[in-house]
Amino acid sequence: MADVYLDYHSSKPTDPRVVEAMLPFFSERFGNPSALHRVGDDATQALEDSREQIAKFVNADSDEIVFTAGATESINMALVGYALRNKSKGNHVVISEIEHISIMNLAKSLASMGFEVSRVPVDQYGRVSIEKLERKLRKDTILVSIGYASNEIGTIQPIREIGKLAAEKGIAFHTDAVAAEGLVKLDVRSDNVNLMSLSSNDIYGPKGVGVLYMRKGYRVNPLIIGGGQERGLRSGTEDIPGIVGMSVAAQIMTKEMDEEVRRYLRYRNRFTKFVLNEIPDSHLNGHPTERLASNSHFRFDGIEGESILLSFKDRGIAVSTGSACTSKTLEPSHTLIATGLIHEEAHGSLQLTTGRYSNDEDVNRVIEVMPEIIERLRKLSPIYRKKRVIAK
Amino acid sequence: MKSTQYSEKVLDHFRNPRNVGVLEGDDVAVGRVGNPTCGDIMEVYIRVKDDRIADAKFRTFGCGSAIATSSMTTEMVKGMTLDEALKVTRQDVATELDGLPPIKMHCSNLAADALHEAIKNYRAAQSQEAVSEPEAEASTGECVIGKDEFLQHGVYTSVEDPSDFEDKRVLVIHNGDKSVKAALDLASKTSRVVLMTPETKIQTTRELAKQLESSQIKIIYSSRLREIRGDQEVERALIHDDEEDEDHEIYIDAVVIVD
Repeated sequence: MADVYLDYHSSKPTDPRVVEAMLPFFSERFGNPSALHRVGDDATQALEDSREQIAKFVNADSDEIVFTAGATESINMALVGYALRNKSKGNHVVISEIEHISIMNLAKSLASMGFEVSRVPVDQYGRVSIEKLERKLRKDTILVSIGYASNEIGTIQPIREIGKLAAEKGIAFHTDAVAAEGLVKLDVRSDNVNLMSLSSNDIYGPKGVGVLYMRKGYRVNPLIIGGGQERGLRSGTEDIPGIVGMSVAAQIMTKEMDEEVRRYLRYRNRFTKFVLNEIPDSHLNGHPTERLASNSHFRFDGIEGESILLSFKDRGIAVSTGSACTSKTLEPSHTLIATGLIHEEAHGSLQLTTGRYSNDEDVNRVIEVMPEIIERLRKLSPIYRKKRVIAK
Repeated sequence: MKSTQYSEKVLDHFRNPRNVGVLEGDDVAVGRVGNPTCGDIMEVYIRVKDDRIADAKFRTFGCGSAIATSSMTTEMVKGMTLDEALKVTRQDVATELDGLPPIKMHCSNLAADALHEAIKNYRAAQSQEAVSEPEAEASTGECVIGKDEFLQHGVYTSVEDPSDFEDKRVLVIHNGDKSVKAALDLASKTSRVVLMTPETKIQTTRELAKQLESSQIKIIYSSRLREIRGDQEVERALIHDDEEDEDHEIYIDAVVIVD
């Protein structure tokens, strides 16, 4: 039986239609956009057409789109590049407690460069409150960076309101939209976003390509210096096959997103209903409704996430967990901790993320094996249903 | 090496753990070890006859290697004398399992420690030494940093109207039956109530004990509130875990410290 893949937040296959569109740009149309002959002009055309498509995807102008080698690079440009360029205006940056690990680590780098970083807390569902965010903003705040949606628990932030608040205060607003792209309609204008990071793979494009949307008037310092490509913002010969791939992925996504999201909602509702009704002492992590359609995130009292993951793995099902035992640091997920969970709870989580090639049969397979997996691990557990309470 | 790259032997013991369960009787002792931060808690039970381990069982909350090392340890020590069993090290267990991923050597390989703990407890019981648990003094919240600063900004000394706490994450400091009652009142209005006690268990009236047991309230044992942190309002509590002798933060919206 084929493996069931339910870890779409960690990696997505490149859509075969995208691969097909990329192929001519490896060997036939291999030009360098900086070259002035016809071969170069052909590459320039492909590059600028792609830029226009990506601009449409987020409702931006094409001169606001910068291609990078991935979302992590875009995020570096947005945070470090913007902070360095605006150092004279202030040195305070605000992020949330549940940012993707790349931003959490980048915040530490910013601190070592002399910037001060504040983290706004979230509620038990992982949402940032506007009131609490406002309290963190100061006269010397130059940048707010809050992820559009959590890559772990799937909670979607009130992006429009955050953007509005930042605009009122004259503070730049960056959002890491990697988890949300392809699942939520992105619109940088109505969402009041000034800087936005995107990845190609998260809309079924190739890996190694990303985009930074940069609104006019919100320039950043380049981090990679060289031949001056991308208007000097990101040097290095453009990866035309990758860029074409991302733009084709965005066009497909625009057409198919609504249908896909409806499908993912059906899967999510099936998972949620089953787990909460059929598995005792189970809980939904993240927001019950304001969450990505593709994301189902649960925790089970008394058992540990890596054991859950291994048990699914043994049955040919790929899932993910926030357990420390699977992380590089052996720390539990900072996102789950920020929602108020204690360590032992954060360890017992299971993340199921669906995607383009998921189907109802995948959901059936999970539902079929889940009860026995949970039950078996609970039988091994010394802490399941063992409250130490005694009567006097 | 990936943290989950396990040997076939580890996977076998994870899939088919040997000796799962508990033992009871006068000739039985148990050893408990754990590190909640990295997520492993283990109990090893031994039955001793003529100074030899006649039977061993375990229960483990933890990752694949935590379960496998517990299973292997109980297999290895059956039939050993207590002195022999005391010489079994974490490394021996790992070797017997054809190795563990380096990152798992420390954290998830505690079964040998639990075994040694069980032997110690057995010998202590045999020599009639009462293994008295140190009684933790009640936390009155008097020396909590930030308590006064956040009074009425997330810190409460009583629960007058539980509806004020709707949808909030509330930490209740265990300080007698009144605090248990407060936690139960709050649990009717919000799904997230954490009751924290400096003791290893909560002792309360029969009625409250029954309600507490069947409630959704999360209990944290052997821990004290050190400091309340936040920006004008309560955001986090710094907790000291007495067993681990470690500090960590939990994210909350309110703290209740009943007088």
